[in-house]
Amino acid sequence: MSPKAQAALIAKLTALADDELILSHRDSEWTGHGPILEEDIALANIAQDELGHASTWLSLRQALDGTDPDRLAFFRDAEEFRCAQLLELPKGDWAFTMLRQYLFDRYELHWLSAATASTYPPVAEAAAKILREERFHLQHTQAWVERLGQGTEESNRRLQAALEGQWGYAQQLFVPLPGEEILVGEGIVPELRRLKEDWLENVTRHLQASGLKLPLPPGYQPHSREHHTEHLWSLLAEMQSVARWDAEARIW
Amino acid sequence: MSDTQWPRWEVFKQDTPNKPHQAVGSVHAADPLHALLTARNVFVRRPQAVSLWVAPASAIFSVTQEELAEGPKPSPESTGVAGAYLLFRKTSHKRSMTFVDYVGQLEAPSPQAALEQALRQFTDAEALAWWVIPASSVVRSEESPETVESWFAPAKEKTYKQQSYYGVVGTHTSKLRGRGGADES
Repeated sequence: MSPKAQAALIAKLTALADDELILSHRDSEWTGHGPILEEDIALANIAQDELGHASTWLSLRQALDGTDPDRLAFFRDAEEFRCAQLLELPKGDWAFTMLRQYLFDRYELHWLSAATASTYPPVAEAAAKILREERFHLQHTQAWVERLGQGTEESNRRLQAALEGQWGYAQQLFVPLPGEEILVGEGIVPELRRLKEDWLENVTRHLQASGLKLPLPPGYQPHSREHHTEHLWSLLAEMQSVARWDAEARIW
Repeated sequence: MSDTQWPRWEVFKQDTPNKPHQAVGSVHAADPLHALLTARNVFVRRPQAVSLWVAPASAIFSVTQEELAEGPKPSPESTGVAGAYLLFRKTSHKRSMTFVDYVGQLEAPSPQAALEQALRQFTDAEALAWWVIPASSVVRSEESPETVESWFAPAKEKTYKQQSYYGVVGTHTSKLRGRGGADES
């Protein structure tokens, strides 16, 4: 791999991991607050799965540049994170959380399915492994979108509001990183532009069938993963607090 | 007081293809698919499994050994129809985690008739309790390889970590006693 491709791959793996890590933290905020015990457990499971996926991507990065995944997760400042803004947004109500998870799961399913054909074997293997869990996540969140969309007037209204708030942000999932075209050219990662068509068709069909109003005006669409919402700072302050409290802790 | 809970569903988990489905507990859910998805999350995160069934608790005709000795017990009206019934049996008090095991399916005109047939047919072990469930009330996880891969395979690779596993992350103070809190590396 050329040094340029390697640098691009390190950046891409970081972005993949950061999406999972930040979403995982937002999901984990429901622990103890879920609408019913069973869904509380379910979302805690999903949060742990996403955390595991973040760890997978960071370990692939570690193999390239030796960085420690824990240092990256707990000692980086907000400006250095490369997550999409969609995942930083506060957890909102249940409809907001389920819709975000659904939009992201659907994007991941397309991305991972394509990435199983990566010419870089570690990416292909990780994608195949993560894909299994994401299939189930998608079934779960898809079922919730249907039930909230077709449930009561209130649940439909809340889901529609969540959709209008997230739609522009979700488009950022398909904005490539600077230099990503090198990776696409070498077949290491799939081209986002192509995946977006499938994603858009799929989510539009499913959301409409669930009683939601689409298409929507795109509104604000973040374009760079170097920029973040103010919410990322407070999220990291909490997520990183224990590790930073005593970074050298050896004794518990 | 009105009950605001969603209906309760009993969950049956099959650990390997050669083992029977076993009742492992229950979930509250709004509908059959939701019950199945929820059951997967609650009962299959870690342990090994290959298949899941759920059935609404209201559809289960359950009879204990003691009740049998007292005479016939009326079954719930909603399930009193002719058709296929799934029979589950409890044979031991020893295990705390599982309640009844699947023993087989029968055609019968009613749950009581299915139970009477089962008493004659499944005599290999003493039954402490029976559950009779209309086959039409049982919702099963898909058997496609893709579903099995997605629902059950990931859990198989994840093992439980005992508390002692985490001891290697740091060092408990008790281990450092007499060494003045010296560095452990």
